Amino acid sequence: MQDLCIGFRKRGGRLLPVIDAANLSLDPRQAVGIVGESGSGKTMLCRALIGTLARHGAEITAGTVKFGGLDLVAASERVWRGIRGREIGYIPQSSLAGLNPVLTVETQLVESITATGPLSRRQARDKAVELLERVRIPRAPQVLNARGHQLSGGMRQRVMIAAAIAQAPKLLIADEPTTALDVTIQREILSLITQLRHELNMALVLVSHDLAVIEDVCDEVMVMYAGASVESGPVAALSTTPRHPYTRALRVSRVDRAVPGQDLEAIPGDAASVGSWPPGCRFWPRCSHADEECRRDPHPVLMPVGRQLSACIHAERLVLGEQPPAVAGRDDGAPQRQ
Amino acid sequence: MTELLLEGKEITVTFGRGAEAFDAVRAASVTVSGGEAIGIVGESGSGKTTLARVLVGLQRPSAGEVRLEGEPIFSAQNEQRMPRSERWKTQMIFQDPYSSLNPRMRVWQAVAEAVQVWHNLPKAAARQEALRLLQTMGISDDQARQFPKSLSGGQRQRVSVARALAPGPKVLIADEPTSSIDQSAQAQLLNLLRRLQTEQGLAIIFISHDLGLVRYLTSRVYVMQKGDIVETGETQAVMEQPQHPYTRLLIDSIPGRGNGTG
Repeated sequence: MQDLCIGFRKRGGRLLPVIDAANLSLDPRQAVGIVGESGSGKTMLCRALIGTLARHGAEITAGTVKFGGLDLVAASERVWRGIRGREIGYIPQSSLAGLNPVLTVETQLVESITATGPLSRRQARDKAVELLERVRIPRAPQVLNARGHQLSGGMRQRVMIAAAIAQAPKLLIADEPTTALDVTIQREILSLITQLRHELNMALVLVSHDLAVIEDVCDEVMVMYAGASVESGPVAALSTTPRHPYTRALRVSRVDRAVPGQDLEAIPGDAASVGSWPPGCRFWPRCSHADEECRRDPHPVLMPVGRQLSACIHAERLVLGEQPPAVAGRDDGAPQRQ
Repeated sequence: MTELLLEGKEITVTFGRGAEAFDAVRAASVTVSGGEAIGIVGESGSGKTTLARVLVGLQRPSAGEVRLEGEPIFSAQNEQRMPRSERWKTQMIFQDPYSSLNPRMRVWQAVAEAVQVWHNLPKAAARQEALRLLQTMGISDDQARQFPKSLSGGQRQRVSVARALAPGPKVLIADEPTSSIDQSAQAQLLNLLRRLQTEQGLAIIFISHDLGLVRYLTSRVYVMQKGDIVETGETQAVMEQPQHPYTRLLIDSIPGRGNGTG
């Protein structure tokens, strides 16, 4: 899977763009994180990857999405049925809503298992038990008879993961898989996803609003802001030398790295919302480096800088280092131009 | 940070009866001094929100009492609600800024309502005060005329803070104030809360499962697990040398520490 470049718009009488410059490439067995705030388009991007945009009244208006050699933009629903679940597994955002409350775990898992072809009841059940054991659920046979509401949030998410990997897909998409979970459960689920990825040789797209989560799990990261990719590259590169002011802002505004007694370096203003994107680079109204050039359309495209790609037109000359928390007391957290 | 402001003594909250009964909070004691910022951390179901609800008078304890400035104001024995004359002193902001504002009230009205209730001001004066409070929270007059739905999560949470500040409280309880807002808005809100505490002497109780937030903002912390306070102490000491295994687990689970997930 390489060079995914999609643009699509939402219908509402007229066309409303929600993503217009998203770029993502992923090699087999690689883990890439997509980070962005609400409204940045990361969930829509996931839907494009599992072919469910139409169900949400959206469509791809330009760009290409390729999976292996297959063109996913042109793929018909019939083609999608062969891909969804089988080639590309999906863990949705809300595991609470993901399970049907009136059906048992067994019924729902068997549905995913028999999607490729009929199995006897016995075989399907054995496979379901095996899947639950695979996602480290103890007492799997009992859990099979349970319904969603009888399970804890962490257990429900494990069941959703079991369903997503039932067909041993080549790519697993996880959309904010730990959002509603406690930190300790979040850690368990993230390490489970990582282990499964290695066991099943899957590639992973992990969507999160939390850069720290992505840094723990992924090799590569793509940062989205207001419907556009603004930076992408190896996790290590983005964390030591971010090349887009927004990436740096995401890092330094994190509370877990803040020095007690000092203000956090907040990003001023509010995120650009769908339908009211500013011209040019969408981050300029909140960016301390912005100048006239930044306000001019079109939105800058990703260009190679160092080991990564950045959509900041000043990426080459900005030094976006981060003052380590150790220099407490020195009021020099502000970025400086070279 | 000198005198004791709010105190929860041996608070137990039992839900259900008979065989179904369970203690959401068990004999928990918490103190907050004037101008102090403390944290209550724990996972969902640990009882931290229930304890907070007792402290602001929203939930009657099954045993124990709440003291404000030394006076017992709310207890298991007393059948009455927390007296109105005391209630203004403790205010709370909630996890979800989407459901805590009336969608059919303009932003300024939501705040002006609180101003009117507590200060008995005429309408025009209440409006002025509401706009002033919102201004200090970084909400412009223009935004104040909107309905909550046209504000972002971060803006809505700042409106909630403005409303909680209307009666001029001495303690603000913030229950997971940042969990449903974007990261770039979190920093703005936390800076505001920190300034209220350090510059205006407002005592703040942060309820959170996020030890990173608690580490940054509080000087003392209580760690709760399944209704019990399992560890308490200076935040820095607890973070550096956790004594209880559960505290250690919470610290190890903070993302971004490269803790074996990658």
